[in-house]
Amino acid sequence: MKKVILIVMVFFTLNSQALTQKIEVLGMVCAFCAQGIEKSFESANNVKAVFVNLEDYYVAIESKDDKGIEEKIIRAIITESGYDVKKIEVVSESVSEIKRKYESK
Amino acid sequence: MKISTPYLILILILLLISNQSILYAAPMSFKGSITSMATVGKDYISLESSFVITSKDAIGIRAYESKGNGYNLRAGGIFHLRKLMRINAINSQTNLWLFTGAGTINIEKDLRDKDYSYLSPTLQFDYETKRLFGLISHQFLRVGHENFDTTKIEGGFSFYETGYTETQPWFILKAKNTNSIFSKVEYTPTLRLINKAIFIDTGITVDGDPSLHMMYTF
Repeated sequence: MKKVILIVMVFFTLNSQALTQKIEVLGMVCAFCAQGIEKSFESANNVKAVFVNLEDYYVAIESKDDKGIEEKIIRAIITESGYDVKKIEVVSESVSEIKRKYESK
Repeated sequence: MKISTPYLILILILLLISNQSILYAAPMSFKGSITSMATVGKDYISLESSFVITSKDAIGIRAYESKGNGYNLRAGGIFHLRKLMRINAINSQTNLWLFTGAGTINIEKDLRDKDYSYLSPTLQFDYETKRLFGLISHQFLRVGHENFDTTKIEGGFSFYETGYTETQPWFILKAKNTNSIFSKVEYTPTLRLINKAIFIDTGITVDGDPSLHMMYTF
């Protein structure tokens, strides 16, 4: 019985994947400005990791669960930071993978 | 070295239209943050700190001293900063700001001094990309029968593009004039370094006077 419970737990752990969303941001042209976006996402609920890519004008956020962050919350954070959202999309890579790929460029 | 103001404006315009990518301009950070600044030059010092209360407004306190042409100004007060307009494009940001300062100012001239209250609006327009920066501002400061209006024009470029966590160096040429205080326009070639929360300008005026401007966001 214990083995079955363990297998079920492992199964659910492996399947409760985080969701990564990539947000293309308009007006994000300097690090001094972009830190507001990073700090706001870091303090938002359900956000596990944040990565800001200034070169390609996007922010990647990874949620703690597979539901992701609601679009209206994402838009509110970006707008409150002084920017506009161009596009939001779900991507298959994790934030650490995106970061690794960027750093190896 | 003498550069006329029309020539400087022409250089600035050429810089702005010649490159698509740019820099930093916003004197306001993100909601809930505190930004502190210090500006020190041979004849002036300014200290200020502001708190961003909404995505478009910040309030703060400021103290400064400036001297020249026999005048010595000492002022302290509060200010409100309002982002009147921002245009966000994929690779640029354009802003129009209104600063409104109020407080008291002491004017010393010919060994006599007097205290006044002041209300001083400033309009600032700036444009930035990851590689280019331009700014024009005018501050109205009329006290008693004196005119201490200040006009600034700044323009420059970054040497190269950097990542979010790296320090980005810039060259900025600053031109500034304060009526009654300055006998001529002050030109300051400046090295600017930006790294996330830290912003540092170090320059030397064409007359050889050093200047330093630092900004930090908490």
